[in-house]
Amino acid sequence: MKFLAFSGLALLLLSLESVLVKTFGFEVTRIDVGLALVVYAALRATTVEGALSAFSVGYLLDVFTGRPTGLYPGLAVLVFLLVRGGGVLVDGRSRSSYALFIAAATVGHALLATFLSWVTSSEGHVTSLSGVPLQVVLTVLAGMAMWPLLKKIEPGERPEPGGIRLS
Amino acid sequence: MFDFLKRSRELLIVGALLVWPLISYLWSGHRGREPNFIDRSVLFVSTPVQSLFTWMFDGIGGIGGGYIALRGAHEEAQVCRVSLAEAQAEVNALKEAQAENLRLRAMLSYADESVDQEIVARVIGLNPSAQFNSIRINRGESDGVRVGMPVVTPEGVVGHVVRSVGTSADVMLITDPNSKIGGVVQRTRVRATALGAGPARPLTVDIVRREDDVKDGDVIVTAGSDGIFPRGLRVGIVRSPEKPMVGMFLKGSLEPTVDLSRVEEVLILPVTMGIPAAALDLKETRP
Repeated sequence: MKFLAFSGLALLLLSLESVLVKTFGFEVTRIDVGLALVVYAALRATTVEGALSAFSVGYLLDVFTGRPTGLYPGLAVLVFLLVRGGGVLVDGRSRSSYALFIAAATVGHALLATFLSWVTSSEGHVTSLSGVPLQVVLTVLAGMAMWPLLKKIEPGERPEPGGIRLS
Repeated sequence: MFDFLKRSRELLIVGALLVWPLISYLWSGHRGREPNFIDRSVLFVSTPVQSLFTWMFDGIGGIGGGYIALRGAHEEAQVCRVSLAEAQAEVNALKEAQAENLRLRAMLSYADESVDQEIVARVIGLNPSAQFNSIRINRGESDGVRVGMPVVTPEGVVGHVVRSVGTSADVMLITDPNSKIGGVVQRTRVRATALGAGPARPLTVDIVRREDDVKDGDVIVTAGSDGIFPRGLRVGIVRSPEKPMVGMFLKGSLEPTVDLSRVEEVLILPVTMGIPAAALDLKETRP
């Protein structure tokens, strides 16, 4: 039932993030704290538990948007699977590789979300991607800050480490 | 069959978690669903947490201001440092209160001029996803806030309510790519549509014929034709209108009259689909 711990943490972090971005007046940049949780779950948790965690984090993000559409739960599970696949190639157990996975996941998530928003937008207008570089930096920093806490929630390491070690 | 399900358990669970929400998204698009029991529970828990964080950050901001004031006082009068610091901190707190008071008074005087009583709300959070531009306010269903109600400040239009539950509501900002407002140019009464183009981007002026009289600096106000906003509310100021060589319509951007990144308090107009809430018998639900 570790996914409940991930969900509780995600709820707290998303609440904090929504206030932080308001306080600092961010307009196009967000801190993707939920994604940092999804990446961690993909690298450390079992498949079912990790997928459930990713889904619940995405669900919460969906609720926080004000217009829950199902976009974010689906994307969170997709990112979970992609990171898990990447974890087979690259050893994702170290802190540095975790940061690398977060950066890649943030870019991929932003691109996919923008593309799918464009697909369903009647006017063809989509959000600018200009905030993504700063979003990557902030999300990586948030992930690094959460690392000790996440290790307490899910200390387990996947039995089959990736082939390439980054550190 | 049972063995197959048992063997493919992981695949089926993960597949369902992936496919179901994406199909739901592609099916419903940007419309979103009505808040269900889980959504309401999440919002019931998160709203007080957001309010608490907002209160904490406001407090930290006050302390930071007090610290700056304290350093100034130290340079000016070292002997009276402690007492001056206290005085400065108090002055700073009073300044904050005064600024808030002025904003609220401006809103109340606005409310006095209006036919119906607006609901004053505080912004407690920004949507953590960059794809949807919305804010969360600390007034909801229990305060009489309903989906579709316009949200404004004395400076102009902020957006409209897209979800209202318990003690909070979400407001889609006018900069959201799905936002579309029917407006008129205040000076010439030429009809125009203001389309959202994403955060930190000006709105787009649409469906204005190239021969119509629209100049840089013209104010666009709501026309009351979109079924959401009553007429006469300021939307934005036209910037750099261009008449293209080909095509029927003018191209231009619209700078919102409200600084949406700095908005702290808002007014919710109790009208839905242009009908006053009182007429819909919604007023009795307010405390």
